Amino acid sequence: MDGIAVAKNVITRNVITGVITKDVIKRVVLCLGLLVVAAPPHAEEAPATQPAAPPVAVVTAQDYSAGFRAGAAQLDPSEAAGREIWYKATAGNSRFHTYVFQQRIGVLIDWYRVLQSAARDDRFKTWGLINDPDCCTPGSEGCPAKSLEETYGFDWCPGDDTLLKFVGKPDYRDPACDFQDAPFVTGSTGATDTPHGTPNGSGDQRQSPCDLEFGTSTGALGVRKFPNPKFDAERWRAANGGTLGTWVGLDGKLSDDPKNSDAKVSHLSDPSLEPPFRVGLACGACHIAFNPTRPPQDPAHPQWENIVGLVGNQYARFSEIMVSGMPTDSLEWQVFAHARPGTTDTSAVPTDQVNNPGTMNALINVAQRPTFANETVVKWRKVDACATGEDERMCWCEPGRTGKCWRRSSQPETVHHILKDGSDSIGFHEALQRVYFNIGSCSEQCWVNHLTDLRVIDPQQRGYGQTPFDIGQCRRDCPNFRAIEDRLPNLASFLLSAEAHAADLHVARANQREQADANAHYEYADLVDDLEREFGSGAVTRGKTVFAENCARCHSSQGEPFAGRDFRALADNGLRADWLGNDVPTLASEVGTFRCRSLHSNHTAGHVWQEFASETYRARPADPNNPDPNGGGRGYYRNISLVNLWAHAPFLHNNALGPELCGWGGVGSYEFYRNTYVDADGKQLATAPACWPYDPSVEGRFALYKASMRELLNPDARPPKITKLNQDIVIDIGPKLWDGAEEQRVYGLTLRVPAGTNAGLLGNFQHKPFIVDLVRSKTRPEELEAQLIETYGAEQGRAIAGALRDIANQVIDDPSQFLAAVKQRLPLLIKAYSSCTADIENAGHEFGRDLSDADKQALTAFLATL
Amino acid sequence: MQQGFRLKVLVTGVVLASLVALVALGGCERKPKIEPPKIDFVLAGEGYSTKPDFALIEHLHPIPIAELVRITPEYLAGLEQEQVDQIYARLSAGPIPDGAFDGALFFPKGSSGTLRASEIVGGLKGLAVQFKGRKLEALGAALWKGKVFYRDERVLRNRIEDLAVLKPLIGGSLADIPKIDVDDRDAWLLFPAKLYCGQSLLDGRRESIIIDYAFSDDLPGYRERPDYLATRRGFKVRDEIRMVRPGFYLGRAYLDHAFVLNFTLYNLTIAERDGPAFMANGQAQEDCWAGTQQRHLLVSR
Repeated sequence: MDGIAVAKNVITRNVITGVITKDVIKRVVLCLGLLVVAAPPHAEEAPATQPAAPPVAVVTAQDYSAGFRAGAAQLDPSEAAGREIWYKATAGNSRFHTYVFQQRIGVLIDWYRVLQSAARDDRFKTWGLINDPDCCTPGSEGCPAKSLEETYGFDWCPGDDTLLKFVGKPDYRDPACDFQDAPFVTGSTGATDTPHGTPNGSGDQRQSPCDLEFGTSTGALGVRKFPNPKFDAERWRAANGGTLGTWVGLDGKLSDDPKNSDAKVSHLSDPSLEPPFRVGLACGACHIAFNPTRPPQDPAHPQWENIVGLVGNQYARFSEIMVSGMPTDSLEWQVFAHARPGTTDTSAVPTDQVNNPGTMNALINVAQRPTFANETVVKWRKVDACATGEDERMCWCEPGRTGKCWRRSSQPETVHHILKDGSDSIGFHEALQRVYFNIGSCSEQCWVNHLTDLRVIDPQQRGYGQTPFDIGQCRRDCPNFRAIEDRLPNLASFLLSAEAHAADLHVARANQREQADANAHYEYADLVDDLEREFGSGAVTRGKTVFAENCARCHSSQGEPFAGRDFRALADNGLRADWLGNDVPTLASEVGTFRCRSLHSNHTAGHVWQEFASETYRARPADPNNPDPNGGGRGYYRNISLVNLWAHAPFLHNNALGPELCGWGGVGSYEFYRNTYVDADGKQLATAPACWPYDPSVEGRFALYKASMRELLNPDARPPKITKLNQDIVIDIGPKLWDGAEEQRVYGLTLRVPAGTNAGLLGNFQHKPFIVDLVRSKTRPEELEAQLIETYGAEQGRAIAGALRDIANQVIDDPSQFLAAVKQRLPLLIKAYSSCTADIENAGHEFGRDLSDADKQALTAFLATL
Repeated sequence: MQQGFRLKVLVTGVVLASLVALVALGGCERKPKIEPPKIDFVLAGEGYSTKPDFALIEHLHPIPIAELVRITPEYLAGLEQEQVDQIYARLSAGPIPDGAFDGALFFPKGSSGTLRASEIVGGLKGLAVQFKGRKLEALGAALWKGKVFYRDERVLRNRIEDLAVLKPLIGGSLADIPKIDVDDRDAWLLFPAKLYCGQSLLDGRRESIIIDYAFSDDLPGYRERPDYLATRRGFKVRDEIRMVRPGFYLGRAYLDHAFVLNFTLYNLTIAERDGPAFMANGQAQEDCWAGTQQRHLLVSR
């Protein structure tokens, strides 16, 4: 019996029918005719289940840039449609990034700080965002908008002539309504994994494209804006010193006096003040990147030819963007705003309280990516019909459609292992669909109710922990889900298109030379010559042998034997046959790299993304050599691809191996770089290696690659890294009275976590069970001690129980001693309440340590050719 | 000694004042006693993981309008918190209210039927907590009579009938505190708050009406003492309400995002004016985002 059947059984058994009398039953029967199925009238926007209101203004073809369209010239209609969705579709997540994250999760994004047009030229080096070539700063030469007042301080972008007219008004017709869908192709219902398959049913029954919700560009690629119908211009003007062109009334601090708590407060936490735009993210926000083979001359002013959609933005600082409205001494900023450029903690919003930022996956040569047969997958599969009376939690047909049905079942399936730990393993399409949840789509309808609320500490209350997202419910209740799902074949075909083909170093160098001299030529053989000049005669050939003998068992998608293999051979489809990674799960303890990401728990049973991992994933045995809680799928890393490694340093899943990167050279108020280098005792180095400023040029990437390879192959030369708090975290508890001149605490306390504390210590600490146990140490001490003894053994269990009792007593005597009391007993508490105790972020993967210096050089040369 | 006494008075006042800020209290429905509603609940175990999904509850067990009409503050106050939650999740925000509303509050009860705080503490100490909780409820009811909504201004103020306990916390003259007369009973108006449509902290599927005290110092008539107690510098009070039926709202009060108690708000005039039309078809004005899950509005069973 699977989970749904169990749930059904429980629910059926447990429904309280109250006092159901014959009279009630009679009335039920009588009143069936009065059943009204209706969504309540909307105050601010029409229900998205139907195409939007009749067109008010039409977005014309010229609103779409020739440069953007040129990027699709080589793509077929399905691939081109998928590309446009990837670049533009938010699937409704502007509500998440404007309301839900701020109000429900309690974390503030300062979109103006990130996107203000006045700082357009600094956007890349500050936030790693890539400027949209079609947008401009109002008032600049040729820009249709003449002043920031017209655009509320943002860039002017194509489509804004229409969009700006609807700021503060209803009935904006989203440009997605005019999206040119790929031609409908009749497909079989089972064609879920066929790239060009179609939604089920015999006719075109795709959800309205309006629900893709494109809006217009904000000026940063993949970041989209929408007119806010609730915006009040007069109120905005009043809050902003009489102007519409700035957001300082929203994001400006309320006091300049550092002793006043308002020095940390802005109206970003006052939802009554509505901004002019809602901001949403497309998949491209993280994945659109500079083309490694055609980088821009000036990263602040790229052209479309410098941009590709799939390799992943190695410079994006989405963790910092997502907490950009928080004070720097807040827990949120200190614990989350330290992910290295190009990484983000995708389990920070649906938090599993495992501090584990990872890179945006580079989507290259996807068609060659390994798959795994016969995995046990429970999921919804397309069918032609459901049986009459069938439980709709097992089989469901979309109302108003013909034969657009799904049935939930368990079957063996051939799947990819997508995420770092191999989760997102129920199918290519479903993994793509989940990207939209990662970026906020359908949050209100489908998943915020399933998240952990960090403030709920009563285990009986909703929000104490996660519960599983329900794919069937989301399909039924969220039109944006259906709009994406019906076009997954297009998205999949885009991922398999030429836009994801390898970007080789010899091609990059050829392009570079052609820019200087149109007649210049540079071929693969020239690259080999250059590499051998730099790394030694015969280095590339020798490197291939070293790779086959030492690396290929994990980093080749071809089977053994590896000796004599041509790792550059082409497959029938013209792509390099070898994906240079086998995606097989390997124990994190065997690889030795920073294990926290492998302990990600959102795909385990009972957790939010349970339905997106195969049963095979969850059946993986626990690792006896891992000191942290694991099992149920946790504790593994898949063996990643090395295709185009030359362009993707620093290395490892967290970009921790290699020089640290920074946008402003390590200085300035907008520099987010933290010194992570520590000595053997874990103490921060006062004199640390300098960070490397962002350099997306061909030679910049290659230099970074070489430096990272040196550290990879010479583990003893790696300065260890631990991310620390770079400022005290200050938490004020209790009311303060303002007497007109000064703030006075009435009662309460201030908790202060000192700078220099490991960020992961806080990010991984499971504060809820700790608090529950602290209370139990006073209310049910015997029961608690027995439980701890059972889990940790007699000696340690008693010690932990004693520590909890002592802390509770100390806190009752003097609440201000809470942190001191905890600190005194930290090793014991970490043992009991930390989800991950690893600290060195660039440790492990020492497989090249024993190679000779010559072989290390050779391997570096060879890998640069792949 | 004297200082200790003053501190005790002050702390007592602060606790009481925070209650003022949380909710407005007061009279119950002045209607003939009616039969309790017959509402389907999906039972859950004790742990959070056993709580059924709101989307599923609403899909399988929508509350018929005829049953919504039977819900009273007393009925709600007798329910376990899980049942209150399951009702709240099946409501929509309705219109942002206008005018004076009578209120009542009740603390969350666990599956044992006693206050949840009492369950957590357990034993004799738990009984003491239960007793104190009931006293707090009664004290709140004696002090605070309701809320007044100024819909057009998107502002709310609380009706306080007896300022004696709060006096240590109120600076200056009481004469400059505005008053309101509801049904021939005077009340002071304190603790202003902003009104807007926003996120429910319990159920994200549709918005609730938010009563937010954090930035009330922006509002006309704000007086630092005692109003600051509810603001961002004080207890960071945030209420959210959804409409049971016209004139009757169910609310949840939070301190710094932590759920504390439930409350109800009732306006007889609105109930009598708009109730019959609602009874007929279940339609009501929706000022807030109503979500995209189809609501099944059963006029009756």
